[in-house]
Amino acid sequence: MDIRLLQPSDIPHVQHANITNLPENYFMKYYLYHALSWPQLSYVAVDVSRPKKTPYDYPRIVGYVLAKMEEDPPDGVQHGHITSLSVMRTHRRLGIAEKLMRQSQKAMVETFGAQYVSLHVRVSNNAALRLYRDTLGFKNEKIEAKYYADGEDAYSMKLDLGFIREQIMDEQEAEEVDEGEPVGELGNKEEGKELAVRGKDEGKKRKVRVGRGLGVGDLVERDESHKA
Amino acid sequence: MPQQLSAKEQSLFRTVVRNYEDKQYKKGVKAADQILRKNPKHGDTLAMKALIMNSQGKTDEAFALAKVALQCDMKSHVCWHVYGLLYRAVKNFEEAIKAYKFALRLEPDSAQIQRDLALLQIQMRDYQGYIVSRRAMLTARSTLRQSWTALAVAHHLNGELAEAERVLTAYEDTLKHPPPKSDFENSEAVMYKNSLIAEQGDIPKALEHLESAGKYNLDKLAVLELRATYLAKLDRKEEAAKAYRALLDRNSEYKKYYDGLIEAMEIDPQDIKLRKAVYDGYAEKYPRCDAARRLPLDFLHGDDFQEAASGYIRRMLDKGVPSTFANLKHLYSDSSKKEVLPSLVQQYIDSDKSSANEEPKRNGDTSKGASAAYYFLAQHYNYYLSRDLDKAMEYIERAIELEPESVDFHMTKARIWKHYGDTQSASEVMEQARALDTRDRHINTKAAKYQLRNDDSEAAIKTMGLFTRAETVGGPLADLHDMQCVWFLTEDGQSYVRQGKIGLALKRFTSIYNIFDVWQEDQFDFHSFSLRKGQIRAYVEMMRWEDHLREHPFYSRAALSAVDVYIKIHDKPLMNGTNGVGNGDAEDAAERKKAAKKARKEAQKAERELAAKRAEPNKPTTPGSDDPKKKDDDPDGAKLAATTEPMNDAMKFLTPLLQFSPKSIDVQIAGFEVYIRRRKYLLALKCLLAAYALDKEHSKVHEQIVRFKLALDEDSEILPPKSAEVIKSEFTLLPACVDLSKYNDEYLSKHKDCARRTLSTLKVRKLLKPDSASAIEKEVAGIVKLPTITMGEAIEALELLTLWKSSEAEGFRTEAAAKWPKATIFATKA
Repeated sequence: MDIRLLQPSDIPHVQHANITNLPENYFMKYYLYHALSWPQLSYVAVDVSRPKKTPYDYPRIVGYVLAKMEEDPPDGVQHGHITSLSVMRTHRRLGIAEKLMRQSQKAMVETFGAQYVSLHVRVSNNAALRLYRDTLGFKNEKIEAKYYADGEDAYSMKLDLGFIREQIMDEQEAEEVDEGEPVGELGNKEEGKELAVRGKDEGKKRKVRVGRGLGVGDLVERDESHKA
Repeated sequence: MPQQLSAKEQSLFRTVVRNYEDKQYKKGVKAADQILRKNPKHGDTLAMKALIMNSQGKTDEAFALAKVALQCDMKSHVCWHVYGLLYRAVKNFEEAIKAYKFALRLEPDSAQIQRDLALLQIQMRDYQGYIVSRRAMLTARSTLRQSWTALAVAHHLNGELAEAERVLTAYEDTLKHPPPKSDFENSEAVMYKNSLIAEQGDIPKALEHLESAGKYNLDKLAVLELRATYLAKLDRKEEAAKAYRALLDRNSEYKKYYDGLIEAMEIDPQDIKLRKAVYDGYAEKYPRCDAARRLPLDFLHGDDFQEAASGYIRRMLDKGVPSTFANLKHLYSDSSKKEVLPSLVQQYIDSDKSSANEEPKRNGDTSKGASAAYYFLAQHYNYYLSRDLDKAMEYIERAIELEPESVDFHMTKARIWKHYGDTQSASEVMEQARALDTRDRHINTKAAKYQLRNDDSEAAIKTMGLFTRAETVGGPLADLHDMQCVWFLTEDGQSYVRQGKIGLALKRFTSIYNIFDVWQEDQFDFHSFSLRKGQIRAYVEMMRWEDHLREHPFYSRAALSAVDVYIKIHDKPLMNGTNGVGNGDAEDAAERKKAAKKARKEAQKAERELAAKRAEPNKPTTPGSDDPKKKDDDPDGAKLAATTEPMNDAMKFLTPLLQFSPKSIDVQIAGFEVYIRRRKYLLALKCLLAAYALDKEHSKVHEQIVRFKLALDEDSEILPPKSAEVIKSEFTLLPACVDLSKYNDEYLSKHKDCARRTLSTLKVRKLLKPDSASAIEKEVAGIVKLPTITMGEAIEALELLTLWKSSEAEGFRTEAAAKWPKATIFATKA
């Protein structure tokens, strides 16, 4: 199973996986809207070993994460949002969902400066809750009553992505050391790290031009329409 | 002479425009009427009213009114612009472009018209026109980066890569200061430029650009991937290897990265040990990584394979990973691996038994191990390369015994029944599986699919309805249409074909056709949206995909089925269009004639109503007609099935197939079948030659060669001399004066062990010697005795005998039932 970025040509099969697995469905344009607005954020798991049946076979998608940046975040803080995540029943217990999530989370920070990522999950969905809470470290924010079309409540969950920012920082540091560019005072690693942290904090406040003013208009046709 | 408005009316006109923009249609019409009372021939007002009416869903009236507007004021750009917008709304893009161009000629400085024109041009892939438009738009707004990027994209899509790059550079040169690192639009523009450089083949320059301009790019993954690719292409192996290692540290589940690394390390492909060591390194580094453990199984052999596979299988079975078999089945193309894998699983089971009373089993919780192992073996014996359905059933029962609540195990049990040909039991077991976890849509989907395979359409839609949105008007089926649920519509249609409900079948296939229309239309908004968002590479990728959208198997599967149905209607025009299998032919004919007459009458009525409406464009319309969602006037597809020109209708589905999937032999075969019926011999020959080039031994190709020759002989007089000449020089698949019977027999003797090809030669023989029909039918019935015959081939033979109304059919059915005792299709009908 390859884990890789979602491409526009994957969308019919992603849509197929979604409507096979989940009750919240979207039409193609909504997938395109994700893929063309934040092409770095959505990932797929692909069964590449499947033998081709026709010369026009498309790779079969066995799992996907469809993710976005919140446009015009109400709290003014840049953050990502998981629109949809699912793995075909036949390919569960391989850790695919977790791997998809981690790739997406990393890109949210790298490319769009996300501070945190949010998502909704059915209160009864224990398997998903285990993944989000126990494996990935999401925290429960609140319960949204009757969030789903069938009347079920949702947990609104959040994960602070600060740890990824730190990872990136460490990597950059290592890279720069590799390239022979010392960071901070030589021989004083602690201080060096301090400096870098502060540098990163500045980065935290930077404005990344996404969303605001670049409205989607009628693109978001069925967005969140499952809300009661 | 166009009428002039007073100052008060001019302000009222602006109100109309604003009302339209704010979607306050009723107010808009009211204000327009107020102007028109004094100035009944004011073109712009008439045009705006038409535009508003169109938004209210009154398309025909809007068109009529827009024409009136143009008659009043031919020189008004507003009238032409509106006329274009109306055409745009009904998706007649050619006419819309023409109208926009008129409007633009009258008002060359209108940014709005220019923009509308440009968007249509790119939607229609008029690259030349688009470049002209974009250049004009750039001149008008040259400070906007978007304008430059858009022109670059226009050149890029037109294949002018260097020019595209030049435009991007020209903009960069205007910048006094480099934009900040966090400027996303700039970040993406840099990567877009880099892709243009690379696409021109100048890899050293691309790398240089990437390492300078792209160093701190926000799209870090793209930078890392491109850098690795460029370094590898430039033979800078050591750095390339390092780059691939960096990628693997980000994501160790991507085969491409391992391949890149191994190539960069210059490992001799024969040096299996060294290759394996690379993967082992990552398996150790990332304990949860699957790829590093699984991928070496592709290239390992003998003892090495046995050892690695054993480790992999133990690990997976211990964890109870249900996809273990799915992860490995591609290895079955290698016959020795096909032997080794199940034996390893058997060993796993045996080792467990022997140690059952001793120390704790293996590591940690392995309670799932045994059932997972049985599950693996069940799938092994259910797989077409290693099929033994009785054994498969035995193992799945054992697995179920250990875990009676397992949805996965029941799913596989249902699949085994499916392979037995017992669609009824398959559907029942899948339903059991569904009941084990009613909140999981995946199993719900499977249950519905198996109900469709069992031709229980009503149950299937009911099952689907457990997960569709309850509020959707029109129920589950409407929701599945809205949500573009391609798989359901296709399976539903194919089930209706089996049930002989041709109208409903065509209805579903037409829905798929329409979904693809929507998918093509969907790109429209992104021509402007993507520029605003600044995501250029993703946009270009989308454009390229949309260019061949209809090659998708989702389309070809439905379209081929539709063509097939139309061929059946053509060949058997007596068939009852709507209700089940026809019994009395005369009755059918009458029914069909009646349906056709009814459809014709309704069409005439609609046309009359339309004409009446056109006559009085200003007449107020009845309330309720605002409803933009039109009612389906043919929910059961009766009109589709009542067609008197099935071969024309088939062309709608066939044309995109031939255009986008020419390498599919099924498409070429279907193309031949349609063209030969339409007596388009050159086109039929084109398909036949293409099919022959793809697989000259294909059973259908053999059949079609002979039939083509027969048709030519019969129609030689009506064939235009020029066509006859071309056909003579191109149709060289048969020797000039060959004896067709002999030719047919030769093919048969070459393929006498193959049921499908034998069937083809017998069909041909019946064409050549209609007199010996009963002998031929006996031979058809005889193919059930061929040792290699598959159930699918037997079904084809039975269908053929039934079509011929042969007395052999019953006997054949009995023999087939003995050979496939569990298959529903051969069971005698109660």
